[in-house]
Amino acid sequence: MVSSEKDRRGRQTVLAVLLAAVALALDLAACGGGGGGGIEGGGGEESAEEVKLQGKPSGTVTISNWPLYIDKKTVPDFEKATGLTVKYIEDVNDNAEFFGKMQPLLSQGESGGRSLFVVTDWMANKMRQLGYLQNLDKSGIPEVEKNLRGPLRHPAFDPNRDFSVPWQSGMTGIIVRKDLAPNVHSICDLFDPKYKGKVDFLTEMRDTVPLVMKCEGVDPEKAEAGDWLKAIEKIKGAAQSGQIRRFTGNDYASDLTSGNVVAVIGWSGDAVQLQIENPNIEWRMPTEGCMLWSDNMVIPVGAPNPTAAEAWMNYVYEPKNQAQIEAYVNYVTPVEGVKELFEKTEPELAKNQLIFPSESFTKKCSIAPPLSASEEQKLTQAFDAVLNS
Amino acid sequence: MRRRIVPYFLLSPGTIWLVLFFVVPLYYMGKLSLESGVVGSLEFNWNWSNYSEALSLYDSQFIRSFVYAGVATLLALLISYPLAYTIAFKAGRWRNALLFAVVAPFFTTYLIRTLAWETMLSDESPVTKFLHTVGLAPSGHVLATSGAVIAGLTYNFLPFMILPIYASLERIDVRLIEASKDLYCSAAQGFWRVTLPLSAPGIVAGTLLTFIPAAGDYVNAQFLGGVGNRMIGNVIQSLYLTQSNYPSAAALSFVLMGLIMVAVVVYIRFAGSEALMGEEAV
Repeated sequence: MVSSEKDRRGRQTVLAVLLAAVALALDLAACGGGGGGGIEGGGGEESAEEVKLQGKPSGTVTISNWPLYIDKKTVPDFEKATGLTVKYIEDVNDNAEFFGKMQPLLSQGESGGRSLFVVTDWMANKMRQLGYLQNLDKSGIPEVEKNLRGPLRHPAFDPNRDFSVPWQSGMTGIIVRKDLAPNVHSICDLFDPKYKGKVDFLTEMRDTVPLVMKCEGVDPEKAEAGDWLKAIEKIKGAAQSGQIRRFTGNDYASDLTSGNVVAVIGWSGDAVQLQIENPNIEWRMPTEGCMLWSDNMVIPVGAPNPTAAEAWMNYVYEPKNQAQIEAYVNYVTPVEGVKELFEKTEPELAKNQLIFPSESFTKKCSIAPPLSASEEQKLTQAFDAVLNS
Repeated sequence: MRRRIVPYFLLSPGTIWLVLFFVVPLYYMGKLSLESGVVGSLEFNWNWSNYSEALSLYDSQFIRSFVYAGVATLLALLISYPLAYTIAFKAGRWRNALLFAVVAPFFTTYLIRTLAWETMLSDESPVTKFLHTVGLAPSGHVLATSGAVIAGLTYNFLPFMILPIYASLERIDVRLIEASKDLYCSAAQGFWRVTLPLSAPGIVAGTLLTFIPAAGDYVNAQFLGGVGNRMIGNVIQSLYLTQSNYPSAAALSFVLMGLIMVAVVVYIRFAGSEALMGEEAV
């Protein structure tokens, strides 16, 4: 006979394992639904709360930015120049995810201790519409008033730059492997069956869809919801036929370097970095033109020490300080006068069209227009259905 | 009196934990799944259409998730059983070393292991070239196909299958197998009539431990899959994080939970609760 005691214990073990399995599964599913409730109401719409400056900036300021978006010296230099203490955190990885994290706080009028954070145009617009951002007191940022580049002064979502100040700008176009796909020059070329399964598109709707519209001959800045849906339909077709291999964020980098794909829709700053690793990688201005975007510094509601936050904005808009950041990040600077400084110190960079694009270079480029909340929901739903097919 | 309190006292850490981190969030998620509107102006109004919409919009991803998870579970079982059997009965002094080899991959995080697979299966890799040559990858690429996702799922959850099966095999009293031989069973008959039924609890536990997390997984589809390979976990992630459509995401999570529960209950019924409890062993 088998020892029944041993047997019973065995059965109990199996049961316990089973229960654990079910709990784990439920847990996983619960995880997917994410952090729970309490997502009610926002601040007032278009409530124009304004930053109240309080004399000379002092104390501590907390700044949230994207990773690898600043050199190592600027923060300590700023602290030395102003006597402020800076807590610089790199916790913005994705606009939508950052929004998901901040939204419950912002809707309560809190910023989680952040005095300033950096988000892309459309997200700044969305937060603004929800009443999560403060208007700036322009008397605190004279350098911005003086040095902000002309083309960035009147974007559709913030015509007078009342609540946003660009941190860096960039271009979305095509990145190709010169050795594998020398003849890709336009967005339309990406739909060429020759490159079937060898092309990645971006998951970022406001980059991918307007570029495809350009291929269709539609001006994204004047496009209606119907044009967006038509472009999404075209992308859907290419996805279903296997033309598009996958939709990525900047993880297209690994596909490009390993040769899994030969061309992608991608960001200019990435290409500058990737080119160093593999000289066959090149960013190209699509013949249809590119998409232009900026990441913006904004001051959220409930931000502690907004006076110091404005001092920071002002500081990084002094050309010599901006030049120091620019030499490290390789995106497009929003500050006038940096190019002139580079011409003396690093003439190679000053000539690079990806860092200092000339007006003729970006002539055909567009800025994604702001979408209303209901349009946004409809379009993201349609686009995400393609991403998730 | 004191006797009655003790069990509750012992249960309390677990109970408090579950209530705080499972029941409460579940309640909020349930409430969220019945709200309507866009973020910032969500209101609770028993909006059941979140559920019907979730099912009608994403039915193909649900089916795909269950198919992928099912195939991965089956493959894992076919790989695990002989392996566990060998470790339990034939490994001798290598037993511990082999068990360690099964667990060793866990010293690296799941994410990194999946990313390693992404590199291993890239178009120019020797693995892909080989598979292409022998005709297993006619399109010339393995990444971004359903095969890659299923292979990733199988690999990642394999130890969850091996360990319970090993545990149940290891518990078997060898004298029972000897007895079957004494009673003129051939080796094969002995296996079918004695070893396999006795290891059934391990098989049931292993399949559940593999199937349940695999059905809700989104990492493998994210890195190894491409267009047309997205699973329901990816949909929930994107609804929550990129579309900020919390109500639909919550509704989908509940549907997934419900479907998995149903599948598990049906499976246990089918497999027989006796197998699960090891009743046949007695």
